[in-house]
Amino acid sequence: MYFWKCWRDTRSLFFILLIIAAVIMPVAAVVCVGTGLLEEFGLSAGLSMFGLLGMIAALGLGVLGASEEFAEKTVQFLFTKPRTRAYFVWAGWAVGCIELLLIALVNLLVGWVTLSRYTANPFHSTLFGSVTAQQIVDNIVGGLILFLFVYCLTYALTALLRNGLKGLGASMGIVFGLPFFAVVTRWRWKIDVPIPANHIGTLPVMISNVIWILVALLFVFAAQLVVERSEI
Amino acid sequence: MNELAIGSDNLAKTYGNIRAVDGINLNVRRGAIYGFLGRNGAGKTTTIKMLLGLSHPTAGSVHVLGMDVLSHRMAILQRTAFVSEKKTLYASLTPSELVRLSRGFYPTWSDHAVEKYARLFEIPMKQRFEKLSNGNQTKVSLLLALSQGADLLILDEPTTALDPVSVDQLLHVLAEDAGDRGCAIFFSSHQLEEVEQIAENVGIIEHGKLLIESRLDDIKTHFRLITAAGNALPSQTSPQILSVDTEGNFYRYLVTKDAEGFAADLSQNGAIVTNMIPLGLREIFLQLVRKEQVCTSGNAGATPVLSSSSF
Repeated sequence: MYFWKCWRDTRSLFFILLIIAAVIMPVAAVVCVGTGLLEEFGLSAGLSMFGLLGMIAALGLGVLGASEEFAEKTVQFLFTKPRTRAYFVWAGWAVGCIELLLIALVNLLVGWVTLSRYTANPFHSTLFGSVTAQQIVDNIVGGLILFLFVYCLTYALTALLRNGLKGLGASMGIVFGLPFFAVVTRWRWKIDVPIPANHIGTLPVMISNVIWILVALLFVFAAQLVVERSEI
Repeated sequence: MNELAIGSDNLAKTYGNIRAVDGINLNVRRGAIYGFLGRNGAGKTTTIKMLLGLSHPTAGSVHVLGMDVLSHRMAILQRTAFVSEKKTLYASLTPSELVRLSRGFYPTWSDHAVEKYARLFEIPMKQRFEKLSNGNQTKVSLLLALSQGADLLILDEPTTALDPVSVDQLLHVLAEDAGDRGCAIFFSSHQLEEVEQIAENVGIIEHGKLLIESRLDDIKTHFRLITAAGNALPSQTSPQILSVDTEGNFYRYLVTKDAEGFAADLSQNGAIVTNMIPLGLREIFLQLVRKEQVCTSGNAGATPVLSSSSF
């Protein structure tokens, strides 16, 4: 029943994003038929759309999943139910995470089918040139890990701050501020600060990806520990 | 089996320098209705939060339904229903959806009780919680608690925002339905008439200290306010003398037992006993909390009253 509650809280945003994810590439393809734009920019547009939509979904679902659950006023009701606080933290997280993955997968599948249907070579675009399937997969995996990272960070911060706006603000500050911070530290102190979903130092891609996934999950785990110990 | 639904031993909670709850010993029998009285900020809600594991005691221990709160919290919450002081639930859910949500947590949940109380309290079950009046929001919280099939009901000022008819219905439900099931009820309030109407036991808390814990019948039968005039009469409190007020040679004693014997002792010491009257809960409450001259309210952290010489 609690999963139903979490689903109910987020389903409006989920359906809106799912519809956008499903129609945006086909609509763009139909509009651009005969212009040649699709052949030139189809792949880069598809991947850019995937990235943008995924980030919006990660931020939105991260906030919605936790803001009402851990709001100051309703938390007494929630935490006097016979379940551990860890259960509530991870159940809310799981529902949003599944929704995020579904949105991303639908966008990818529909985008790929659209490109295959309307272009002669979906592996080519003006921006990327000709790319291999491996490169596309790496991009997609990197994107999914970035979404997971942003989602977990937003969810954890919203749960900790018990406020949707504060959680969203803090998360956006970190996500969008980190690249600038990395540039500054590299320029000023010659230190490389790893950016989420990018390669870490000289580690293999697989190891870097696993580390970023663990870091993302660590945010939720940290939120769980704090929520478990907090006085209501 | 432990006979106590709630038992605490020197339970204390401090926030910085403020002692919100100061070593209280609660004894709530299973199946009993216990009125937990106190002014605003006296420590009622903090105590309740500790009973439910929402807040951790600074010192002492507390057992609910025979189990330690810190180590058996889940088992306690399975059998305990709670209505919080604020009664805030999810704004976007309807009462029906709140029922659907709550039902899954409790194996003892009763849909029959939901129907019964929804009809009794006239709750619009299909309206979003945020659209309900304050009174109806309170009723929804109570409905969820009463339908849980709990062994212990903990209600933090349950009648807030209810109209007199609803208050009467609720008190009837608590006294009859919950009582018939052998469910213990621990409810905080500052509505003395309500407590007097249904409670079998009362505890009065002030500045975090439990000033009195007694059966209501004992209060009515044995408690007396004795007024006497004399020199150097006893001025210390004891288990028999709950409070002493002095003004010149006049003494006012709140006596818990053997009032006649105490009055006779005073007379033997040369005092003139001018009055000996039985007391209701209201008089006792006022007598006890008025003794506290330090703060302007029952709040343990309230600003002390400044005497005129302080200015």
